[in-house]
Amino acid sequence: MDSMTPTEFIAVVNQTLEYAYSSVTIVGEVASFKVNQGKWVFFDVKDEESSISCFMTLFQLRQPLEDGMKVIVRGVPKLTKWGKFSFTVTAVQPVGEGSLKKAFELLKKKLSDEGLFDEAKKRELPKYLTKLGVISSTQAAGYADFIKIINARWCGMKIQVAHTQVQGLDAPDQIIRALNYFNERGEVEAIAIIRGGGSADDLSCFNDEQLVRAVSSSKIPVITGIGHEVDESLCDLAADVRASTPSNAAEILTLDKEAVKFNINMRIDTLDSVIYNRADAEKKAVNEKLTQAMKIIGIKIIDYRKQISARIKTLSALNPERVLRQGYAILKGEINPGSVVNITTFDKIINAEVKEIHEREKNH
Amino acid sequence: MSEKKTISEKMAELDKDTDWFYSDEFNLDEAVEKYKKAIKIAEELQKDLSDLQNEVEVLSQDFSK
Repeated sequence: MDSMTPTEFIAVVNQTLEYAYSSVTIVGEVASFKVNQGKWVFFDVKDEESSISCFMTLFQLRQPLEDGMKVIVRGVPKLTKWGKFSFTVTAVQPVGEGSLKKAFELLKKKLSDEGLFDEAKKRELPKYLTKLGVISSTQAAGYADFIKIINARWCGMKIQVAHTQVQGLDAPDQIIRALNYFNERGEVEAIAIIRGGGSADDLSCFNDEQLVRAVSSSKIPVITGIGHEVDESLCDLAADVRASTPSNAAEILTLDKEAVKFNINMRIDTLDSVIYNRADAEKKAVNEKLTQAMKIIGIKIIDYRKQISARIKTLSALNPERVLRQGYAILKGEINPGSVVNITTFDKIINAEVKEIHEREKNH
Repeated sequence: MSEKKTISEKMAELDKDTDWFYSDEFNLDEAVEKYKKAIKIAEELQKDLSDLQNEVEVLSQDFSK
C-alpha cells in the first residue's frame, strides 16, 4: 500500500466518514457545556461508558443547554487537521421530560424579558376570514381534523397549505420558511400553525428560539393549534391567538355558517318591525308637535283676550259719556266775564253767560 | 365587469345596511329602497353559504430546503 502524508490520510478518513456517516444522530447527556467568544459552543455528549466532543456555532443553538440535560444531536463526524476527532453539530434538541422542561423555562424567561409574549402585541383575527394560510403536515391527524371542521363550519375561503414537518430537528426551519413564504406574499389574512397531540419530545420543536421569534415577528396574525389543551409551547405564547387543539383553532377561525344563516334571517325579519316602529315614532313625534303647537296657540289666544279686555276697560274709563253720566259737565268757550259759554251735561246742552271769575283753591 | 363579491364583503355590506336602520340617518323616504337592498344581499348570502365550498390548495413549494 502506498504511503500517505498526514494531510492525505486525514482527507481519506474524512472522505470515508462522510461516505459512511454523512449525518449521525446521537442521544446522550450534556457535559462540559461552554460558549467561547460568544460564538462557538463546545460540549460533550456522554453515556455511562463513552463521551463524544461536540462543536457548533451559537447561532445553531436553538434551545438552551446545560450540563446534565439529555439531548438528541445531529452532526457530522470529522477528523481535524490535528488528528483529533470532532463531531460538528448541525442540530440539537433537549429530550426527556426534565431536560425539556428546564430548556422551556430558561427560554421562556429570556423571551418573556424581551417582550415577545406581551399581551399588548396580540392582534385580533379577521371576523370573516377569506384567505387563510395553514402550516402543518398534511399527513397528520390534527391537520385532517382542522380541515374537516373548517369545511363543516364555513365556506368560500381560499386555504393555502404549507406542508412541513411538525416534529423533529428539521421542523423548526421548515415552519420558519413557511411563515416567511406567507409573510413575503402577503396574500393570506391569518396563518394557522397546526399539529395534533404528541409526546413532549414530539412537540419540543415548537420551543425552538428562532421559530418562536418568527411567530412573534410575523406581519400576518398567527394562531396556533398545537397538541392538546394541557400542552403549552413557546410558539403558543408568541402567537396572537392560542387555540387548545387543531379543532379548537378551526372553531376560532371560522363562524358557524348555520348560525350565520339564522342570524341573517332574523336581522331581515327585524327590519320590518324597525321600519314600522320608526314610522310610528315619527307619527307620534308629528302629533306631539301638533299638540304642542295647539297648546301654544291656545295660551296666546287667552293672553290676547286678556290684553284686549284690559284695553277695553281703559278705553271705557276714558269715555266722556261715562264722565257725564257721573254728573260732570263739559264747558266750552272763553272764560271772561260777560262771555257766553257752552255747557254739556249728560242730558242737556246749555248756553250760559259768565258772571264772575274767582281763583279756586286746589286741594292737593 | 366587476369582480364577484366575497362572503366577507357581502356580510360587511349587510352589516352596514342594517345598521343604517338603527342610526340617526334613518328616514322613511329611503327606508324602502334600503330594505329591498338588504333583502337582496341576505338572499345572496344564504345562497353562498349553502352552495360555496372552501378551496384547499397544498402548496407545491418544498419547505425542507
